[in-house]
Amino acid sequence: MSKPAVIPLQQAIKKSFQCLENNQKIWKSVLAECGPLMVSLGNLAEQSIALSNVQLSNTPLRVFPDLEERLRFKQQHAIDTVLGKMNEKMSSLQSVRDSISNQVSGVFQLYEQNTESLDIPTLTERSAITPSISDMLEWLQDADRHYRQEFLRRKMLLQTLRADDLSLLESAPKRWKSLETPTAEDQISDTLCKVSFFMESQ
Amino acid sequence: MEGELPSNRKCSALTGSSRKIKDNAADWHNLLLRWERLNDHGFDVAQNIVNLRLRRSESQHLQLQADEALPPLEPAGISVATLQQDCDKLQEVYDKMVALVTKMERLVVSQHGISELEQFQFGVEGRKTPLFHSWNAKHFEDVSVFLLDSFQSELRLKGALLQDLAHTVTSDLHVVHLSCWLLQPFVPPQVRLMLEALLLETGHRPI
Repeated sequence: MSKPAVIPLQQAIKKSFQCLENNQKIWKSVLAECGPLMVSLGNLAEQSIALSNVQLSNTPLRVFPDLEERLRFKQQHAIDTVLGKMNEKMSSLQSVRDSISNQVSGVFQLYEQNTESLDIPTLTERSAITPSISDMLEWLQDADRHYRQEFLRRKMLLQTLRADDLSLLESAPKRWKSLETPTAEDQISDTLCKVSFFMESQ
Repeated sequence: MEGELPSNRKCSALTGSSRKIKDNAADWHNLLLRWERLNDHGFDVAQNIVNLRLRRSESQHLQLQADEALPPLEPAGISVATLQQDCDKLQEVYDKMVALVTKMERLVVSQHGISELEQFQFGVEGRKTPLFHSWNAKHFEDVSVFLLDSFQSELRLKGALLQDLAHTVTSDLHVVHLSCWLLQPFVPPQVRLMLEALLLETGHRPI
């Protein structure tokens, strides 16, 4: 651990894990807010489909001639509102992804600048409380990739939605839920546990 | 909409028509707030009614299919009693909504009275300096009439829903009924904007 490049690199890695820890919390809380929004999107789609299936002129509601048009408008309006809120959530997720990506690419830049003074034994050396630099770099890259993929998959789902394609909207909450990857998210938490002593060390 | 606005604040030095109009604006805000709460509560009750109704028609269907010798699957009396209870609750909500609309009618009458008074005092061209920022008494009256019209129509729809809700058998129509109750098709988004404009104009909301 005597090489001059090791200390700054370890500091940078430490900062990245701190950033990862904070952003993981933000990510989880934003995702938790998305769930109910997606459910209400599905409900609204169901309401719109029901309205299309019913011939209002054959029901007692026929005394309101413009009811169907007005209800349709309100339903579309509500769908628009929910989709707008989802867009806001997506930009929060995007900023999480960006901040993790920036940190990780910064660390890798620092590593590449100093490759000459970092030989294999230094990179793979580890102690009881400090994992090896190569392991930690790998974990950071894994986390970075995980959030990139997660974000892309959710963004793709939302981009395929159209306010007038009701069956697609109706199945959206189910598909949104199926994107959840609890094992990958647990792996990030595991990683954070593995580096916890390292993070506390000076 | 946040907390209720005090309708008779004595702190400002407004008198005459301005005072009355400002108080009326606060009343509008409070009435709409109460309407929203009633609507939410009514929706919960309506949802219960629909669920009970669906369960009942399902069990009736099952009983028809089952062997006649089998005892009834569900004591029908219980669900009828709860259904009736929920319908009474919804009726209560509706009655309170009727009372709100009656109050709205009174506000419109009051606003109309102010308009006429203004015309009597200042002639057809109206007063030289505006009541608040820019609106004249007629404009205030028009806004009130628009709000009242929306809620009167919505109330009529609620009345019809109340009659039909427990007597409907198709599930699509059930969903349409609930959607109508929740989304209030006769209360357009402009209602919200008009109320905010009214509150801004009368100084309840800071500009």
